[in-house]
Amino acid sequence: MSLPPSLRASITPPELELVASEQLVEIVPLVSMERTAFISGAYGPLRPPTKCKVPLWMASNLKLKKKCHIIPPTWLNVEFLQDRLTQETTLPSFSEMPFRFAEVAKILLDVAPDDLQNPEKIRTLLKDIREARQAKSREGLSKLDPNELILQNLAAMEINEIRPFFVRGMSVLTQLTREPPAGDPMDET
Amino acid sequence: MEDDYYSIESILAENQKIQCTFKTDVPDMGHLDGGKTGDIKALSKVQLPLWMVYILIYSDYADFTIPPPFAARVRNALNAEAKSVRLSALVGQGGLWYGFGRMIMRLLNDIPAAELSKVLTDTFHKRLPEVIDQAQHFASLQGTIGGSSRGGDAIVAAFREGMDGTERELFQLAQESAKRTKLWYEASDRGRR
Repeated sequence: MSLPPSLRASITPPELELVASEQLVEIVPLVSMERTAFISGAYGPLRPPTKCKVPLWMASNLKLKKKCHIIPPTWLNVEFLQDRLTQETTLPSFSEMPFRFAEVAKILLDVAPDDLQNPEKIRTLLKDIREARQAKSREGLSKLDPNELILQNLAAMEINEIRPFFVRGMSVLTQLTREPPAGDPMDET
Repeated sequence: MEDDYYSIESILAENQKIQCTFKTDVPDMGHLDGGKTGDIKALSKVQLPLWMVYILIYSDYADFTIPPPFAARVRNALNAEAKSVRLSALVGQGGLWYGFGRMIMRLLNDIPAAELSKVLTDTFHKRLPEVIDQAQHFASLQGTIGGSSRGGDAIVAAFREGMDGTERELFQLAQESAKRTKLWYEASDRGRR
């Protein structure tokens, strides 16, 4: 209870980013390095110009020292995102996106825009997708149910953003709903 | 809103007064009706705080009338347009309309209770999107002072003032969360890495 109210309900976006940076990405190293052990595992060896899989945090670190090129994941390009945006705006359900796409995309756009094709366009597309999805989760709000909530394909960052007030709203609703007649102790509020 | 013994909100919600009609004479309890001494006569109407009413009703000393915030007039207004009812005006500043309603609901039985529950949940459902919309709107305004761009601003402001304690809490949660996420999306920590 010593945490401020906003932190009790959910974790912060930077924390999510930290979690996401454990994901592996492919890089083309520009320096060679022996296989090295880190706390999260052993990565390498780096042998230019052979591709290698390393965690995102290591990739961004190397990238900033200009010691590698990052190969963007298959979903981080204009065609794929354009396709998803079309799905997003035409279909009522959330389109399928990698669970931590927002975090990974942000890190890559941040540290390695030169490894992406047309980063500005990608940025705009991601923003549009985000807005389209936000509008959908807003719609879900009016259908809020005290017992369950199903929003398929919602990504980590989006869940985190809506979590505090969805949870609170659901608990308020639980209390406003009349308890079913006695007999089922599981339903007591 | 919880039933927690230590919940200040729960105590505040119980502090609302409702009108009771005594069924029997109660000797030497006249001070309940504000200062007078003597007995409470049967059929006399007394405004009592909710926490005291429980025991009176359960032990069959008194009946109560549905308090004005949940009376037919308010219900009709809520049915017509839930968003234009000022809940905070019904239960006083910082009052908890939903919390109060829930306590009344538990005093009632079957059908009236189910009806009241429906009124409460419907109202909550209808008002929630507006609460969250406004919270997110305000989170994105951050920094721009006096950025009043939304149409029908008087209505929007009136709704905000009419939110009850529970809705205010939700508003704050949503605003905080939207602000944090927005900040993250906009920040670049290239220099930090």
